Amino acid sequence: MEKFKLKVFRYDPTKDPEPYYKTYELPIEKGMTVLSALFKAKEEQDPSISFRYNCRAAICGSCAMRINGHATLACKVQITHLLEKYNTDTIVVEPIGNVKPLKDLIYDMDWLVDKLKKVKPWFIPKEPPPPDGKEYRQDPYDHHKIDFASDCILCASCMSDCNALKVNKDYLGPMVLAKAYRFAADSRDGAKRDRLEAVLKDLNLEWCVRCWECTTRCPKEVQPYENIIRLRIMAAEEGYKTPGEIHAEIFEKDIYKRGLLNEMLLPMRQEGVIGAVKRAPFGIRMMLKGKVNFADFLGGHKVKRIEEVRKIYEKAKEKKKYVKIKLPQIMGVVYEDKRKNRKRANFTEKLNETANK
Amino acid sequence: MAELRYAFYTGCSAKGVAPELYNSTKLVAEKLGMELIELEAATCCGAGAVQEKDEFLALTINARNIALAEELGLDLLTICNTCTVMLRETKFKLDNDPELKEAVNEVLREAGLEYKGTSEITHFLWEVIDGVGLDRIREMVVKPLSEFKIAPFYGCHIIRPQYLIGYEDPDNPKSIEMLIEALGGKATDHEARLACCGFHSFWSAEEKVTLKLTALDAESAKEEKADFMVTPCPLCHTQLDAMQPEAESRIGVKIGMPVLHLPQMIGLALGIPPKELGLDKHVVSTEEILSKV
Repeated sequence: MEKFKLKVFRYDPTKDPEPYYKTYELPIEKGMTVLSALFKAKEEQDPSISFRYNCRAAICGSCAMRINGHATLACKVQITHLLEKYNTDTIVVEPIGNVKPLKDLIYDMDWLVDKLKKVKPWFIPKEPPPPDGKEYRQDPYDHHKIDFASDCILCASCMSDCNALKVNKDYLGPMVLAKAYRFAADSRDGAKRDRLEAVLKDLNLEWCVRCWECTTRCPKEVQPYENIIRLRIMAAEEGYKTPGEIHAEIFEKDIYKRGLLNEMLLPMRQEGVIGAVKRAPFGIRMMLKGKVNFADFLGGHKVKRIEEVRKIYEKAKEKKKYVKIKLPQIMGVVYEDKRKNRKRANFTEKLNETANK
Repeated sequence: MAELRYAFYTGCSAKGVAPELYNSTKLVAEKLGMELIELEAATCCGAGAVQEKDEFLALTINARNIALAEELGLDLLTICNTCTVMLRETKFKLDNDPELKEAVNEVLREAGLEYKGTSEITHFLWEVIDGVGLDRIREMVVKPLSEFKIAPFYGCHIIRPQYLIGYEDPDNPKSIEMLIEALGGKATDHEARLACCGFHSFWSAEEKVTLKLTALDAESAKEEKADFMVTPCPLCHTQLDAMQPEAESRIGVKIGMPVLHLPQMIGLALGIPPKELGLDKHVVSTEEILSKV
């Protein structure tokens, strides 16, 4: 029977000075998940491997790990798919990223709980329950707003691969912000402003780098990235003047005035005179390299048909409040290029073709 | 061969701080037989900033941008990752929600426009690979990049999220590696090839997040002894190249990693003079590269 290698991150702080990797050879079985492979290695080869698991059906969120570099649920991915995806004979299993490992694949969850507490991840009613003894009610669109965010199973796959969290451990992170959104956006919740204050503390909400990694990692359909953006929209609507809000205003004004962003005047408008002074070395560097369009200092050129842009801008602003934008359904969706003869690129195939030549 | 005509959406950067991207794209496209009809009436895509304040405005503005390509009956070609994902986001939402599409069209009709959903949004990288084709590129190479170890830096929005991009597997993309190989170069497998440059949190988290990411990325390419990094995104380029001195100060280490725009790398292999490609317009010196071409 064909075999593959399961390379597992091993670490026992009571006896290992450093973490190390141990490789187990296992038969490739159809339908075998990474979690079942770990069980097989543990039962047949090495009972000391430690990992968390429970439901084995992508519901409980216990078995999140980094598999070949990307966080996901070990019970949700199959060995045969991974071997093909990475064009390899080795599956590398590590604890999720951005955490303190406790033993092997088990990590310290306290820091996640501490972060969650900051956004009060529980329902704080706006008003007492209806007097008729029935439950709190919500119109379908209000429910739709929190529908996906409510599906979070706290597996922390998104926290693992978050680029901002990688370099700043004070960041609340996508899982926590998605949870904050789930309650802040709930029409029955009475603590919207408190929740916004909590995520805006030290501008925490603004540290997201828009890399879309969290949504890509989420094994459910929570869409942490999209929820972070909605939290920012809520903060703007509530009148908080964050750097992000100022930035967005500059973009809006430039689209109206000239169509394109005026990058030359951006620092001055974003951060005022102090900002412009702070950015002077950068500006001079860009000038010396001939990257600066001097006309832009005087406002710059306009795109063609700017009157049309302005008309559309004004109408869109008027119409905005009547439009209910739905959240996209993204579970398992891979964008499809509608053109004929265009299918998803399969580079494993192409690599093999090249090799055959 | 299919006709390689595109509605060319430049974005703000190529018209602002990255003129060398605009110029090198045009030169390389011409050489590869791609015809780019510039959308001179197109506006900024919102870059994620407008999307955080007024989502409906962002959708409407981008529906107009796409409608401009539809007027020409052409697919819309971008040279920026963020433009790609923002235009795709609009297309995805409008194509999957008839009510929203109608609401947007009610606004567009005031200006005599309509969003139909007939033009695809595509990126220069993908058209070079699937439109021109790697075999053809291989034949056209006159100066193979055989002296170079090149570090691909994809940039987030050309691989994520799948529901808006989907060109290749976001966990293990290979398009840039394939292109480098076709040009005769060798791609490095560096830690940060799929990482984020930090650009989009610059104004709110420059010290706390952005510059640290930028430094990690450039250092990662250096660890693999890359001669230069290459990116299909001008925002990544600004961050990695023009902001590299700030990133170096942030971590207190000199890095000095040159960063090329994707068309500049292709142009070098096609024998276009480096000066015409604007290699002298970079902040991190490209002189060592020039000495090897």
